[in-house]
Amino acid sequence: MKLKLHIIAFLITCFASAQVTFEAKVSKKKLGINERLRIDFVMNGDGDNFTPPSFEDFTIAAGPSQNISRQWVNGVKSFSKTYSYFLAPKKRGKFTIGQSTIEIDGEVYKTLPITIEVTAAIDKPKDPNDPNYIASQSIHLVAEVSKTNPYLNEAITVVYKLYISPNTGVETWRELDNPRYSDFWSQNINVKELKLVNSTFNGEDYRYVVLRKTVLYPQKTGKLNIEPLTLDIKVQVPTNRRDIFGSRLLKTVHRTVAAGNRTINVKPLPEAGKPLDFSGAVGSFDFEVSTNKSELKATEALQATIKVSGKGNLKLFELPKLTLPSSLEVYEPEHSEKISTNLSGMQGQMSNTYTIVPSYQGKYPIPSVSFSYFDLTTKKYKTINSKELVINVNEGPINNNAGDNSNTSTIIKEPIAQSGGQFMSFKTTTNFISKEPSYFFKSKLFWVLLLAPFLILPIAIFLRHKKEERDNDVVGNKVRTANKLARKYLSEAKKALGKKEAFYNALERALHNYLKSKLHIETSDFSKDKIEQLLTNKSVNGDAITGFIDLLKSCELARYTPFSNVEMQQDYSKAARVISIIDKQIRR
Amino acid sequence: MVRKIVCILTIVLSVSLGAQNEVLFDAGNKSYNNGNYQQAIESYERILSSGVHSTELYFNLANAYYKLNRIAPSIYYYEKALQLSPKNKDVKANLSFAQNMTIDDIESVPEIGLSRIGKNMVNAFSFDTWALFSIVLVMVFAALFLGYYFSSTTTKKRLAFIVSSSAIILAMVSLFFAYQKHHYVQKDNPAIVFAKETDIKTDPNLRSEVAFTLHEGTKVQVLEVYDENWTKIKLADGKTGWIPSEDIKLLNNI
Repeated sequence: MKLKLHIIAFLITCFASAQVTFEAKVSKKKLGINERLRIDFVMNGDGDNFTPPSFEDFTIAAGPSQNISRQWVNGVKSFSKTYSYFLAPKKRGKFTIGQSTIEIDGEVYKTLPITIEVTAAIDKPKDPNDPNYIASQSIHLVAEVSKTNPYLNEAITVVYKLYISPNTGVETWRELDNPRYSDFWSQNINVKELKLVNSTFNGEDYRYVVLRKTVLYPQKTGKLNIEPLTLDIKVQVPTNRRDIFGSRLLKTVHRTVAAGNRTINVKPLPEAGKPLDFSGAVGSFDFEVSTNKSELKATEALQATIKVSGKGNLKLFELPKLTLPSSLEVYEPEHSEKISTNLSGMQGQMSNTYTIVPSYQGKYPIPSVSFSYFDLTTKKYKTINSKELVINVNEGPINNNAGDNSNTSTIIKEPIAQSGGQFMSFKTTTNFISKEPSYFFKSKLFWVLLLAPFLILPIAIFLRHKKEERDNDVVGNKVRTANKLARKYLSEAKKALGKKEAFYNALERALHNYLKSKLHIETSDFSKDKIEQLLTNKSVNGDAITGFIDLLKSCELARYTPFSNVEMQQDYSKAARVISIIDKQIRR
Repeated sequence: MVRKIVCILTIVLSVSLGAQNEVLFDAGNKSYNNGNYQQAIESYERILSSGVHSTELYFNLANAYYKLNRIAPSIYYYEKALQLSPKNKDVKANLSFAQNMTIDDIESVPEIGLSRIGKNMVNAFSFDTWALFSIVLVMVFAALFLGYYFSSTTTKKRLAFIVSSSAIILAMVSLFFAYQKHHYVQKDNPAIVFAKETDIKTDPNLRSEVAFTLHEGTKVQVLEVYDENWTKIKLADGKTGWIPSEDIKLLNNI
C-alpha cells in the first residue's frame, strides 16, 4: 500500500514537471530612448506557429533568432526554445508589448503583455570591465562653491578637488579648458603642494587632492554660470589580468573630467538705506583721513592720506575723493595698495596720498569725507565720516584775489591794499543803525528837490518881469519909494503922531539916522552947515536941502514952542517927501 | 495825549535798547577776546535781533564764525558788512581769508569794452549819491539859467548859458546813472551757500539731473524762486541751475 502511494506521488511530480510554460522576458522594463531592449519568448516545449506581438512602438533591430537547448542532467531531460528580438524604441512613453502565441502539442499558449517605459536618452550603458568605465567611475572632479547665493561683490571661493578612488592612480594631468570667470573678478590662490587627503565620496572611501582655489567677486546680479574646469588625466586602472606574480596588471587610460557647471544666484545689494556716496565697497572696513602736518609755512608741502583698510572687495571700488579748498594747490594723488588674498577674500589696505602745497597763509579746512560700505555681517550699509581737519598756514603771502566788489553783478577782482597782511581782529566801537534801510532816491523829498528848480525858473522870470514893469512906472515908483523910505525911517515918528515931544524926538532921530546911513555922518559932527555942505556935494538941489534944514529947525523949535496936530502932520509928510527927494538925488 | 505817551515810551525804549546794544556789543567783544567765540556770536546775534546793525557788528560776527571754522556764516556776514560799507579794507582782507577756506573755485567772466566802463562809472557811487548829484546839478542849472536870462553883458550871458546847459545835461546823466544803479541793486540778489555740499539740478525737482555741485561758502546770484523750495541761481562764471532753497541764505533779506 505504501509503495502504491509512492508511485502515485512520483507520477504526479513527473506530470507536473512536464507542464508547458511559455513566457515573455524583457532585459529591462525601463530604458532610455537610445537603448535597446531584448525580449525573449521562452517555452519549454517545442512549439509551432509562433506569432510575435506587433511591436508597433518599436523597431525591430534584430531578430527573430531561435535558440533551442536540450539538456540531460542526471537523466532528466530539459528543453527550452527561445525566440529573441532586439527592439529599439521609437519614442518616449509607456508602451505595452502585446501577447504572442504559440502552439505546443496542439494547444495554444499566450504570453502576458509587458509594459515598457521609454525615458529620455541616457548615457551609454557601461561595461564594468572596460578600463575607461572604471576610470570614469573612480575619478571625479568636483567644484566646491562656498556660497551659491552671495551678494554682489561678496567674496565666494571655488575649490576644485579631484577625488580618486583607492584602487586607481593618477599619473599626470593637463588642463584642457581653463574656466573664464567672465562675470566675476577672480583671483587664483596658488596651491603650493598637492596633498592627498582621505575622504569619502558618495559614501565610498576616496582620496582627494585640492587642485586649485579661486576667489571670486561677482560683478553682476542674477544667475551667473561658473564655467567648468576640464582636465585630461592619465589614470592607471587595474585590469582583470594578472602578472606572473599574481598582482593585477594596471592599464593607463586617458580620461577627460570636468567639474560640472555651477550656477550662482547673485543677490543685488539692498536698495533700502543705500547711501548716496556708496561706491560698491562690500565687506568690513576702516576709513581714515589724515595729514602729516597740521601747521606749516606757505609753499611747504603737506601730505593728506585717505586710507581704507579691512576685509572685502578692495581694489574693486574707488576711494572717495578729497575735496579741498580751491585756494590750495593739489597734485594728483598717489595710489598704493597692500592687499593679500586668501580663501576668505581680500584684505589689507588701499590709500591715496595727496600732495598739497598752500601758497597763501590762512586756515584751510579739509572737509569731512564719508565712505560707505555694505557690511555683510549685519547686512546693512555703514558710513564712516572722517574728522574735519584744519591746516594752519602760518607764514607766507596773503591771497589777494578775493574780496570781489560785491553788490553788483560785475565782479572785478581788485587787489586789496593790505595793511600788514594779517587777519584783522575785532572792532571795539560801532554805531548801530536801523536795519530798515531808508533811501533818498525816489523819495518825496528827492522829487521835490529835483523838480523845484524847474518851477522856480518861470516864477523868477515872472517876478522879474513884474519888477521891470514897476521900474518903468515913474510916478508909482516915486510914491512907492517915498512910502518905503517913510516906512523905514519914519515908522517910529508916525506912531508918536499927536504927542508933541515924542514925535519931534522921533522925527529928529529919524532924520539923523537917515543921514547916517546915506551920508555916513557921525553924530558928533552933526551940524546944519556940515549937512548943507555934504548934501550940496552930493548934488542935492537947494529946495530939498532947505526943506531938510527947515525940518531939523522945526524939530529944535518944537521943544520950546507949542505945535498943533496939523503942523505935526504937515512936518511928517514934509519929512517923507524930503527924504524921498534926497534919496533919489543922492542915488544918482 | 495817548499819542504823546506812546511817543515818549518809544523814545525811552529805543534809548534804553540802544544802551543795551552797546552793552551787548562790549560783552561780545570781551567773549571774543577771551576766545569764547560761541558766546560772542550769541551776543552779536542778539544785537541783530533787536533790529539794528552796523559794519563793525557784522565784521566781528564774521570773525567769530571764522575762528570757529564755520565758513558759510563767516562769509555771509563779511558780505553783509561789505554791503554796508563796500570799500572797507579790513572786511575785504578778512573776507579773503574766509574765502581761502571755500572749496569751489569759480572763475568770473570778465566784462570787457564799453559795458565795463559804463558799469564801472555807474558803480562808482550809490544811487543816493547819484540822486544828490542830479539835484545839485539841476539847482546849478536853474541858477545859471536865470543868470543867463537876466545878465546884460554878452560874455556873461554866453558863459552862463554854456555852464547851465552842461549842468542840465550832467544832471540828466547822473539821474540816468541813479536809475541804472538802482536797477542793478534791485537785480542784485546774492546768496551764500550754507549746505556743506549740495547738488545743483537742471530742473526744480529731485528727479532731474545734477548739473554741478557746490560747496559751503560759495556766493551765488539768485535769479528766481519756484514753489518756495527751489531757487534758480547763477554763478559768477555764468552757469545756472536749481538749488533747494534751504541750502542757501539770501544776503538781502526782503
